[in-house]
Amino acid sequence: MSRIWADAVAFGRQYLRSKTGAFFAFIFPILLVLLFGAIFSGMGGTALELPVQDQDGSQLSQSLREALNGTELVTVKLIPSDEDLTAYIRDHSLTAALRIPAGFELQVMTLLGTNASGLVNITIYGDPSKSTYGTAATAVSIALTQLNFGLSQARPVLGLESQSVASETFEFMDFFLPGVVGLTVMTSAMFSMTSLCAEYRGRGYFKLLATTTLKKAEWLGAKVLFYTLMFVASLLLTWLVGWALFDIHVVLTPLSFVFIAVGTLLFTGLGMLLGLTLRDPESAAAVSNAIGFPMMFLSGTFWQLEAAPAYLQAIAAALPLTYLNEGLRDTMVYQNLEGALLNLGILAAFAVVLFILPSKLMSWKGR
Amino acid sequence: MVRTPGEGNEAPVVAKQLTKRYPPDLFAVDHIDLEIRKGIVFSLLGPNGAGKTTTVEILEGLRNLTSGEAWVLGADVRIGYASIRSRIGVLPQDFEPFDRLTPAEAVTYWAKLFQLTFTTSDADRLLETVGLAERSKVHAMHLSGGEKRKLGIALSLVNDPELLFLDEPTTGLDPRARRDLWKLIRAIREKGTTILLTTHYLDEAEQLSDEVAIMHKGKIIAQGPPKELVARSSHGTTIVLAGAGAFGLSEVQRRGIPAQLVNSDVLVPVHDPEEMRTYLAKLSALELKLTDMYTTRPTLEDVFLSLVGAKMEEGVLQA
Repeated sequence: MSRIWADAVAFGRQYLRSKTGAFFAFIFPILLVLLFGAIFSGMGGTALELPVQDQDGSQLSQSLREALNGTELVTVKLIPSDEDLTAYIRDHSLTAALRIPAGFELQVMTLLGTNASGLVNITIYGDPSKSTYGTAATAVSIALTQLNFGLSQARPVLGLESQSVASETFEFMDFFLPGVVGLTVMTSAMFSMTSLCAEYRGRGYFKLLATTTLKKAEWLGAKVLFYTLMFVASLLLTWLVGWALFDIHVVLTPLSFVFIAVGTLLFTGLGMLLGLTLRDPESAAAVSNAIGFPMMFLSGTFWQLEAAPAYLQAIAAALPLTYLNEGLRDTMVYQNLEGALLNLGILAAFAVVLFILPSKLMSWKGR
Repeated sequence: MVRTPGEGNEAPVVAKQLTKRYPPDLFAVDHIDLEIRKGIVFSLLGPNGAGKTTTVEILEGLRNLTSGEAWVLGADVRIGYASIRSRIGVLPQDFEPFDRLTPAEAVTYWAKLFQLTFTTSDADRLLETVGLAERSKVHAMHLSGGEKRKLGIALSLVNDPELLFLDEPTTGLDPRARRDLWKLIRAIREKGTTILLTTHYLDEAEQLSDEVAIMHKGKIIAQGPPKELVARSSHGTTIVLAGAGAFGLSEVQRRGIPAQLVNSDVLVPVHDPEEMRTYLAKLSALELKLTDMYTTRPTLEDVFLSLVGAKMEEGVLQA
């Protein structure tokens, strides 16, 4: 352990004395928070996805769902019919959700058949103080009007009730900050390990280290240790700026530090793998950029993946940064322990593979 | 025939038929035998590409051998390096320090990699030994070439090694920096450390070494103490009659003294002290116009020239 600590301290000194390394670890994430915060602060939640609990499962309820999608104001997302909708709204921090009750179609047909007066109501749940609630309510009204017209030409048979369910809502910055943390872990660990390997090989440092009693695994462990400590410091700093300037609802949880440690292990391993397999520094840097930049955009760093087309979501599912970003949001923003642990498990599986592989490939001996 | 440690050989370095072959048929090291006695400076001398660094890196445990056997401090280099690593110091060829660490930080870091208790005064003492005390707080990127090499030697000494490998420690340095390093290497040897040095500087090998092995094309073509190698060579002492010219040559030869004319100088080879006395008496009786008269002794350079058939400058063989 003393050798790992000694190597981590020496490496840390060199890393932080290089102004580029310190910039990307500490200043860059703060700049991103300040920049995106200035652009997006005050914006509400980004999604207009409307969760719908269809307890009727009838042809008419399906027509209503289609009509909702047809408004182009919302996209229907079906949720389980046996779910406690009020709890669901709170757990998922929703501003609005719609319930189509069991017997909905039967009631409508009965009303139409008897020519009796009255309405069959469906209920929109949520927080009327939020703008997205208003958008959802508007979409439901439009859809009901269309259905009313189709069913009875003039006489309205469908009505809308509302039930207020207040839940904590999040601003763009709440969503964005964990993404910046994930991005910092990926870029600093992966890019710097790639160039570090090229530098160590080119300047003979691997050979030099091989003349000591330091083991390869200890050297790698020292890098992971240093990066983890640095990213934790970076997270604290970024969080502090976000909290002071943008009133974020992001919570620092113990699990968020676990995510940083596992993410660091993963991207250190990936950077090492690229640095070892690509012999010249220029190719290593180019391939590292070619992998890193698309991953940055496709892994939900800057926007929610649910808003992306299905094929992009499929690509995102194969990218490790997705699970780091989603996991950090689950634990730091949504307080969704189950989701966080699932993401952590997937991230850890990626990390184990991407760490073992370069450890096996790396040789300090000459050919 | 080299005896192995198993046969009671306690020399710090022993190699028997050591070979490194790169497919298909490049022999970087070609069946060499080597034995380095304890406490001496042993130089592997040869031009670039002779196989010096490959040999040394095999002995340092940094490269695998193809065939043959080698032992360092009694351990088989193929399997036993873990047990001897902390007893060995290495300055690799083209050593580069960590740019953003100061010499004081670097030696302390290196000591900790050997799990040594290393205080600030230990670091100061070591840097004093290598002549870097005044530069101990400067980032390595700002050190001169000679200072960087001294830092490399300081790192290699951090664990107080029994055996020190110095791979071309003075290559590329100016004459003053080279002489500073020579002084340092002598001081290390005085402490009883065995040193294996590789160099392509003939004067360096001659000045520093107790024994020299000349390598050429992967083979050792001559081995022994420098004086012995020189004595063994066909060249003896030469009397030089500078500016004697063709007339001088005929006068010398007329008195039965074998001589040759090189440029305008007459060179008289001498093989033993008796011959020297006789020739000097005869030559002093001659009334020749000379610009100078002196004797020269052969050097390793002459030995190298006669063995390889070419001179060597900065590690490159000259046609």
